[in-house]
Amino acid sequence: MKTTTKQKIAFSILFLCTIIVVLPVVCIFWIIIKNGYKGITWQFITAMPTEGMRQGGVYPAIVGTLYLVCLSIVFSLPMGVMAAVYLNEYAKDNLLTRLIRLAIVNLAGVSSVVYGLFGLALFVTFMKFGVSILSGALTLAIMNLPVIITASREALASVPYSFREVSLSLGLSRWQTIRHSVLPFAIPGILTGAILSLARAAGETAPILFTVAAFYLPHLPKSIFDQAMVLPYHLYIISTQIPNISRETRYATAFVLVGIVFTMNIFAVIIRSRLRKKKKW
Amino acid sequence: MSKILAKNLNLWYGTFHALQNINLGFGERRITAIIGPSGCGKSTLLRVFNRMNDVVEGVKVGGEVLIDNENIFDGDFNDLVKLRKKVGMVFQRPNPFPLSIYENIVFGLKVHHLVKKKEFNAIVQESLESVMLWNDLKNKLHKNALGLSLEQKQRLCIARTIAVKPDIVLMDEPCSALDPQATLKIEELMQRLKKDYTIVIVTHNMQQAARVSEDTGFMLLGELIEFGRTADIFTAPKDKRTEEYITGRYG
Repeated sequence: MKTTTKQKIAFSILFLCTIIVVLPVVCIFWIIIKNGYKGITWQFITAMPTEGMRQGGVYPAIVGTLYLVCLSIVFSLPMGVMAAVYLNEYAKDNLLTRLIRLAIVNLAGVSSVVYGLFGLALFVTFMKFGVSILSGALTLAIMNLPVIITASREALASVPYSFREVSLSLGLSRWQTIRHSVLPFAIPGILTGAILSLARAAGETAPILFTVAAFYLPHLPKSIFDQAMVLPYHLYIISTQIPNISRETRYATAFVLVGIVFTMNIFAVIIRSRLRKKKKW
Repeated sequence: MSKILAKNLNLWYGTFHALQNINLGFGERRITAIIGPSGCGKSTLLRVFNRMNDVVEGVKVGGEVLIDNENIFDGDFNDLVKLRKKVGMVFQRPNPFPLSIYENIVFGLKVHHLVKKKEFNAIVQESLESVMLWNDLKNKLHKNALGLSLEQKQRLCIARTIAVKPDIVLMDEPCSALDPQATLKIEELMQRLKKDYTIVIVTHNMQQAARVSEDTGFMLLGELIEFGRTADIFTAPKDKRTEEYITGRYG
């Protein structure tokens, strides 16, 4: 066989693999949009569910999801960024540091249902927060920590060493250097990582199953100690537990969930591309 | 009297004896050059004077360095900040922050709360004038400093250093990233600055040392081989190794 022919075959296979990666995404979006778009009405987004969730809207589930996601970032972002700063700027390369890194990698690999059970044991039962937004948000926060720490560390590491050097030579202390010469330049990268992790959290079902999710609530949550309806769990219920529900409602719910996640990802991409434009150092 | 005086200065990176029993003095408002082949310890020596080596793990220092008769190793943390305000540094590669020209110059002032905000404009002008950038940049102070030419960036970095009002400016091969013409301009600038500052420059460029400095020290393998008037070092070196290096016969 000629070299050029071999090359063409190799390229074709590589290209095919790439296309196959994209295919499921396109299919999922296509099926959800095709079956769900008719169900997306203003009422569907802003109304309470009625008729045993067969009619009405998904408003409380949207609100619950947003509550949960926002609260979880309040816990995980500061903690994750501070841990990343410690690991990247202060930690010496010793056994403890290596153990911490190993723990972070492993934390990222724990399956989400285990997080759910852990949250149930620690926050719901032991700390007596009950099945509540607080418990759910804390569980999601722990699940997100490794992602945020890793993204933040990468963002910090991409700030050139010379920035730190100049800063120290100008008489800034180590902390002032981090505060004024490193963190400000790492923030876009940190935010990108945080948003991506949030998008993932918004779509997770298992960690919220035992810690926050309500089957049905006739009202919106009033405080962080209330249960809440949450989109992924709501979708699971209406797809499996409730007979005679229209296909359109199910797909429309999936549409809303995917839409929220997609919007967040788009935000992350925009921030990242802006960062790339700015970052010429 | 010397502005900076090193007495029996030794420095180890772990077990590597990088500076060996250095004794020398730098005159006030003079330019002193330190020359020597790569790895001879000249940058390490320079970084002793503002204690930048402190961030490197496993560094041990022995001996004394007196600046204005105060031992810089005696101070606590606050003296480290004080020391670095007094001893500024210009690096090999121009390294402005990706901020505006204005922000770059007031960077140190802002964090230190040295002066009131309303005095910032005056200091920015003064600093840029002393590095001869004011006329070129006065209308674009709020443009990003990364858009400047390499030479302008290095001038800006010098301006950023002197905005904190140090006494001493350490320069670690400040021209090695620049072309010959820009190099000459920075050297002119150094001549201007020496009216107000004590300058120590590390360079691997012997012609540069001969052109700009009053005193020169020659280092080899962590030792100070010879120190004296630049004219003497370059015309009548006492040590054979110095002679070999400056005539290009070394290594």
